[in-house]
Amino acid sequence: MVQLLDTTLKEAGDAALNLMFAARKSVFVDLLRWNVPVRDGCHEIDQFDDDHARYLILLADDGRHLASTRLLPTTRPHILDTLFPNLCEHPLPRSPRTLEITRFCLDRSLRAVDRRQVRDQLVTAIVEHAVEHGITTYTGVAEMGWFQQILSFGWDCRPLGLPTEHEGSMLCALRIAIEADTPRCLARAGIWSPTATPGLRERRATGARG
Amino acid sequence: MPKLAVADAFVDNARAASSEDELFELLSECCKAMGIRYFALVHHIDFGVDAAPAIRLHNYPKAWQHWFDENRLGRSDPVHRASQLANYGFPWSAIPGMITLTPADLSVFAQARIVGIGDGYTVPAHVPGEFTGSCSFAMGAGEAFPRDLHSVAQILGGIAFDAARRITRIREIWPPIERPLTVRQRDCILWSTRGKTDWETGTILGISMGTVIQHLKHARERYDVHNKAELSVRALQGGLIAFSELGLRR
Repeated sequence: MVQLLDTTLKEAGDAALNLMFAARKSVFVDLLRWNVPVRDGCHEIDQFDDDHARYLILLADDGRHLASTRLLPTTRPHILDTLFPNLCEHPLPRSPRTLEITRFCLDRSLRAVDRRQVRDQLVTAIVEHAVEHGITTYTGVAEMGWFQQILSFGWDCRPLGLPTEHEGSMLCALRIAIEADTPRCLARAGIWSPTATPGLRERRATGARG
Repeated sequence: MPKLAVADAFVDNARAASSEDELFELLSECCKAMGIRYFALVHHIDFGVDAAPAIRLHNYPKAWQHWFDENRLGRSDPVHRASQLANYGFPWSAIPGMITLTPADLSVFAQARIVGIGDGYTVPAHVPGEFTGSCSFAMGAGEAFPRDLHSVAQILGGIAFDAARRITRIREIWPPIERPLTVRQRDCILWSTRGKTDWETGTILGISMGTVIQHLKHARERYDVHNKAELSVRALQGGLIAFSELGLRR
């Protein structure tokens, strides 16, 4: 069973956070060779990992990190406005109801079949987070291969500018609109896979009773 | 019209398009607005032979499609092969640096010139578990593909391919199998795909050769395929096993 943590630096236990930072180091630094800071030789942590960041972390029963992502408020400095303002030709969406999706990370230890399942669960968690918290827009930066996958999830996703070459890869800024029927669109594309976290189940049960 | 505006309008229209004809018209208009002569939105299969419903929308000259199918290039066309190695768009001039060109490939380029197809740019589209595909844009004979159109072609290609996937309901070609495979069946497929014999697979997994044969037989039944190669392909396409697990030599 997969567990979803929707948390911040303050709320989360060190164990889950450290596993996530280590997984991020393994994916973004060791595998993808991103030029981002590494702390203590094994944790990828940058200036946006602060109290304003929100994390969605998928953990296995035994506490292993499966996948994670970081959501940044767009009303404060974030990746698109700080590092890649040149990727946006349209005005950058920026509001309390707009979050930037960053560090979408699938653990390298996952087998192919689990990988896709976990990816779908994380995408679903991102949409559920928006629905629960009144978020209407997500923004982000994606490498083109990943952009093609993001398009195929079935939601309303569009570029904020034309793709631009950056350190040998092609990057594109994007905007995803979250609407009432977004879950249905994801379901039609075969992506929708809610994680039955204990918290959610309780909330649903409470709702059912009252 | 500014290039991003062309792309934006295309995103809106492509999302609303409900038929291949509509998408064809949208691509035609969009290419015209940018001074691009040809487009080709295709899945990389052999359209002369493979019966699967797949995407193929293009405005290349008629003579080209005929010659292309006659020579069964759907899967081996050099542009298609190069696009399997690319993560984002590439100009055709880069192809000799991407794949080893055979004499047959050179004749493909020569034939393209003869029918009036000039320089081009191809956007690969890889959606895990589906046929690979691509969206190419090309100029008329003798014309170079303008560099400043690369990035907008990249976006148009990506969006067009996704719209075509939605319209043709490509996901329904291989419906999910009814009973998922067991861990042991998967292990056997993985080692078989890595090139091990049934006996070797049995030795590696610590089971008898007969058991390996049984596992593979049941796996073939679940996928409704008839031989080992098809089984490997389906397992790769469905994401049961991944290329990264095969340990291929670099």
